[in-house]
Amino acid sequence: MIEKIFGSRALPYTTAIILLGLMMLPMYWTTVTAFKPDEETYVFPPVYFPHNPTIEPFRLLFEDYPFGSYLRNSIVVTLTTTLIVTAIGVLAGYGLSQFKFRWADTLLWILIFTRIIPPLSLLLPFYLLISWLGLVDSLASMILANIYLTYPFAVLIMKSFFDSFPRDLIDAAVVDGCSRTGALVKIVIPVSATAIASAAIITYLWTWNEFIYAFVFTSTPSAQPVTVGCFDAIGDIFVNWNQMCAGSLTAALPGIIFVFVAQRYLVRGLAAGALKF
Amino acid sequence: MRLSNPWYGFLLNLPGLVIVLLWVLFPAFLLVCWSFLRHDNINPVTFAGLGNYVALFEHRLFWLSFGKVAVFCVGTTALTLFGGMALALSMVKITRGSWFFRSLMILPWAVPAVVSGIIWKWMFSPDFGVISDLLIKIGLISEPLSIYGNFDLAMVGVIVADSWTRIPFMAIILLAALLSVSPELYEAAKVDGAGSLSRFASITLPLIKGPAMVGLLITTMFSFRTIDIIIPLTAGGPGRATYVFGYYIWDQIIKTLNFGVAAAAGMFLFFMTSLIAAVFVYISKRET
Repeated sequence: MIEKIFGSRALPYTTAIILLGLMMLPMYWTTVTAFKPDEETYVFPPVYFPHNPTIEPFRLLFEDYPFGSYLRNSIVVTLTTTLIVTAIGVLAGYGLSQFKFRWADTLLWILIFTRIIPPLSLLLPFYLLISWLGLVDSLASMILANIYLTYPFAVLIMKSFFDSFPRDLIDAAVVDGCSRTGALVKIVIPVSATAIASAAIITYLWTWNEFIYAFVFTSTPSAQPVTVGCFDAIGDIFVNWNQMCAGSLTAALPGIIFVFVAQRYLVRGLAAGALKF
Repeated sequence: MRLSNPWYGFLLNLPGLVIVLLWVLFPAFLLVCWSFLRHDNINPVTFAGLGNYVALFEHRLFWLSFGKVAVFCVGTTALTLFGGMALALSMVKITRGSWFFRSLMILPWAVPAVVSGIIWKWMFSPDFGVISDLLIKIGLISEPLSIYGNFDLAMVGVIVADSWTRIPFMAIILLAALLSVSPELYEAAKVDGAGSLSRFASITLPLIKGPAMVGLLITTMFSFRTIDIIIPLTAGGPGRATYVFGYYIWDQIIKTLNFGVAAAAGMFLFFMTSLIAAVFVYISKRET
């Protein structure tokens, strides 16, 4: 009997559908609420399938809250951080992986050590630093913080991918008269595009999703990112739940898109980075 | 030109090294310094010796938060391991539509933690909550439940919400490990007459133990310092029922503005995280 159940082909699909169904309930509930008019939001028992879907919550979100500027701030901070971290990370990962030099092991250990320091521990000293630099309530403060938060993991991901890079390809290029930097630009980067994309996407998502540093460093809509904007809206006495869900959905949008468009990169990057830990 | 020029690799790492020195090691140095300073934003800043650590260990709230985070950490890690394992085991056998299933599987990981908190607050809403309604429909409760307003249940609610964000990562690690187990092993065991359960216990489990330990380590470490999701969900309440250690530090920085004690607490968090890592590394080393 047990053999029949565990050996059956339908079992994995059934359990997966049940488990994923439970896990998707919050996503479903947020999505439908975001498209509900007020009279379907504030009723009990709740309405499972909206009768009159509307985009009113999204419209009010941009009207009642400075959501446009939250989004702009998030995009600027995230793109800048991702660009800097990816560029510096490619160089560092390539160097750590393909060249033997004296401090290589020390550098690697520093990176792993950095991953163990809880970001919450460094929040206070980082805040002191930001206030000394006069960067409180600026986009620059968040870019600096997110570089710290994402750089070590990005390097570890790229190093682990470069470790399996065919060394012969680089050697052949050098024999053909390519410089080492030329080999990096012409051979290594194009061939490892997927690895670099993995690291860049994870950096992008972590930066976009970051909350506590942004919350402490910023205080006005001119610098606040979308995560802080969403939270600020919940701080009001009365919570407009359909607008709140519209905001949550907007804040989660990059994540949702990347999960469906670049799922393979995400999985590979996370697995590679985690096992290096 | 020789490829293995000893300076070239270092040169490539130089920009990153500057970042790590200025952005990480310097703040870490500041953290150590500040944990020995009396900086409470009331009195002038002076050297305090071990004063902050003494204050920390004498603080009733510190011990309370330590107890809360222990419960939270164990609960979250257990639920995450169970959920992640169940998901990974069923996903590994799925071939048709695996792209779609896997996308759904990692979706909660990609949602900002603070947004997850907002979403779960809405799910468990005492007035319009969908979970209350579902529990009433299946007959478990008779009237709407205010889980985050209930001193005994709030912790359960927070654990469920936090595990929801952590299960995908655990499932990814375990799934990667399961996929690397050679199918021939199972075939051989099948020929030898081993049943599903004994195949799982004697082939699967030993082979995925290493990655499972990594997943457990990361989940334990990260849930020990959870803060993002607690802030919108309960803010440590009701009546400090979910006042985890991360929230203690958060309060010291945001509310009481006692920077000296916050630094000492930050040092303690770092120490605990390292201790958790050390314990896991020790167990993995001893087993192999």
